[in-house]
Amino acid sequence: MGRAVVAEAQRRGHYTTVTTRPTSSRTRNGVDDGAPNERTVGSTAEIDLRSHDGLAESLAGVDTVIHLAATKEGDFHSQFAGTVVGTENLLSAMTTAGVRNLVAISTFSVYDYMSIGAGHIVDERSPIDRNPALRDEYARTKLVQEQLYRDFSDAGNQVVILRPGMIYGPNNLWHALLGSDVGSRFLRVGANATLPLTYVANCAEAIVLASELISQPDSNLAGETINVVDDNLPTQDRYATEVAARIDTPPTVTVPWPVMNAVASSIKAVNRHLLGGRAKFPGLFVPDRLHARFKPLRYTNARAKRLLNWSPRFTLIEAIDASVEAEELARASTTGGGNS
Amino acid sequence: MSQSATFTEPTALGHPDPSRISGGLSGRISGGTSGHRSGAGPGAEINLSMRAAVVGTGAISVEHLTFLSGRSRFVELPDRRVKPVAVCDLSPISARYAAETFDVDAHYTDLEQLLEFERPDVVHILTPPSTHVPLASLCLEAGAHVICEKPVAANIDELHALLDVAERCGRKITESHNYCFNPAIAELTQMLTDGTLGSLREVEIRIALPVTDPDGRFGDANLPHPIHSMPAGVIHDFTTHFASLLLHFTGNIRFPRVTAAWSNHSADPLFRYDNLDALMIGNGADGPVHGRFRFEAGAGPDTFTVRVYGSRGWAETDLFQPNTRVVMPRVGGSQLSPIANHVANGAGLIRNGMANLGRKVMQRTPYEGLHLFLDDTYRALATGDELPVTADDMRAVCSLIDQLLEEKTRL
Ligand SMILES: NC(=O)c1ccc[n+]([C@@H]2O[C@H](COP(=O)([O-])OP(=O)(O)OC[C@H]3O[C@@H](n4cnc5c(N)ncnc54)[C@H](O)[C@@H]3O)[C@@H](O)[C@H]2O)c1
Repeated sequence: MGRAVVAEAQRRGHYTTVTTRPTSSRTRNGVDDGAPNERTVGSTAEIDLRSHDGLAESLAGVDTVIHLAATKEGDFHSQFAGTVVGTENLLSAMTTAGVRNLVAISTFSVYDYMSIGAGHIVDERSPIDRNPALRDEYARTKLVQEQLYRDFSDAGNQVVILRPGMIYGPNNLWHALLGSDVGSRFLRVGANATLPLTYVANCAEAIVLASELISQPDSNLAGETINVVDDNLPTQDRYATEVAARIDTPPTVTVPWPVMNAVASSIKAVNRHLLGGRAKFPGLFVPDRLHARFKPLRYTNARAKRLLNWSPRFTLIEAIDASVEAEELARASTTGGGNS
Repeated sequence: MSQSATFTEPTALGHPDPSRISGGLSGRISGGTSGHRSGAGPGAEINLSMRAAVVGTGAISVEHLTFLSGRSRFVELPDRRVKPVAVCDLSPISARYAAETFDVDAHYTDLEQLLEFERPDVVHILTPPSTHVPLASLCLEAGAHVICEKPVAANIDELHALLDVAERCGRKITESHNYCFNPAIAELTQMLTDGTLGSLREVEIRIALPVTDPDGRFGDANLPHPIHSMPAGVIHDFTTHFASLLLHFTGNIRFPRVTAAWSNHSADPLFRYDNLDALMIGNGADGPVHGRFRFEAGAGPDTFTVRVYGSRGWAETDLFQPNTRVVMPRVGGSQLSPIANHVANGAGLIRNGMANLGRKVMQRTPYEGLHLFLDDTYRALATGDELPVTADDMRAVCSLIDQLLEEKTRL
């Protein structure tokens, strides 16, 4: 996402300072992995948000921060340190450096899917999860992060929170909204639910537009929360078919949504009544997590279009084709690099 | 401001492991120290409602706060013997999140303020190791007892200085030797105490964990983990476990013959060492005892095995996947004993396989012993009895770790 945002910001003529973790722009053996660097952006700084070191200094001369960093892997405490403490440190450094404008990237994961009925519309007024104990680490930490954004906004700063749906693109075409790996197979859950997708370049444009608007004094965007999904969202089946026509996908078994939902709900009932709610099961068998990924719902990008004056530039097919092409190019350059 | 009251303790503890109710089983079995269970038997008068505070709300704080908030599934507090009154972390959001999750009224980012405003009776220090001595000293000086996560100090000189502070302030300090309190260790201890294994000859402890994994918390080069600054680097995270378990079985003896090979097989400059192979020979209550520590970063799967050899037989468990295996003379004499051992251990393996599946689903973690250690510690603090982990225990553990790191013992 960071690379796409930098590319878009530069396309629109902005000077970008990119901060990455020390090992993001080079692997330990010194090989460049293609992350943004001085050649592609205005300036770079190697920063780890979990530490205050160098953070306020890296913000000198900055008008607006686009905060994309999050830890999506590891146990709860790793994700809490990377996502929540990292955000806390960043916001405190922004205060020190006098930077007041923030585009804060949240996620669709914050919604309380158990309380949104099947077939209903998820929009910015949908409830967020107030009791996320049964959700995954990602949702739990992103919810705390959103609270920090709101506190920063309440402290008199200009904050716009963007909640992208599933961001897809190169290296993330076959993703978690389709199902999960189970052994050597991929278990798809459901076929006809609409997928809340946004192509990485479309989303990057929305983010950069938001950063331009929030940079203005007394921005209308301050205090707003905006969902970001593309137009003409596909069903699970349509999306999987289009992707599978272009790249190798794993052997798949599909379980209908009502079946999976019934199984997970029964397990939850047994857990609650017989096991005191203490048993832990894989995410697919936990309704709170299952609903967040596979429940048939509807989505809207009306607010994003209205407030950001944004319109997703790439269609689904263009996005998938561009992603496949980018993946092929990356593969070719790796092979080429190895031969030279 | 500390509130206290006395009450008469109910007779049943409601403890999941009946062996612990009888007392002393998990105590050191030789060397003369008393058992972990203090004398607070049925009917004893104990101090109610100690005020506890937690400093450092990272990963391990979840276990301490689960215990303090009465939500432990390993110990059932028959009363609110202890009340968590405040948490503290340098990160405001971490402190606030912990306070909200565990219904603790107050959260702080400054320990001195916490001590001044909350006046806790006990402080749990759960911060990175290099901060333990200064933070523990502050708490002792402020009149609080201290329960400190391991390693309490980086070396014996630091520990002596800290114990002096405790003595001067008339407060107690203890260190988490939690694995000594795991039921699986109590089971091995029992087999030595009741003579099943005969007298102790050797203790072998092996931990295998992929600590050098760049995606793990110790291998992260972006923000090196504070443990890397300790004398044994990342292995210092485990040295207290090794030493406390060995001394748990042998008693606090000295090991005149020690040799240790510290290596960094990964060659990653982030790591001081990622591998330890140590041998200790000492004189136990019943003759010579060998100790063996192995730490491995490169051989999977995750393992924490403890094997004790006695004059009659040996027994082994894995603290990550408890499954006690016992090889000893059985009915049928020397001809049939090997077969009887296979049958008995095979049946045990099936039983424990099912039990471990249940443990996984029910989220029973190897931290069970930590809850039992805290329970025993609070009981002792309340009655004024000897703590389950004493200053002598802490000294013996710390000295052994120092000894392993001495130049002259290196292989
Ligand atoms: N007994 C065991 O089996 C066991 C297991 C894990 C960790 N530990 C020990 O527990 C301790 C903490 O480990 P962890 O894994 O929870 O670490 P962690 O890094 O997850 O948490 C440490 C916390 O302490 C906070 N902190 C640091 N300095 C502070 C200060 N001066 N005042 C207030 N807060 C401060 C940090 O912000 C962080 O939140 C270590 O000593 C570790 O060795 C013991």
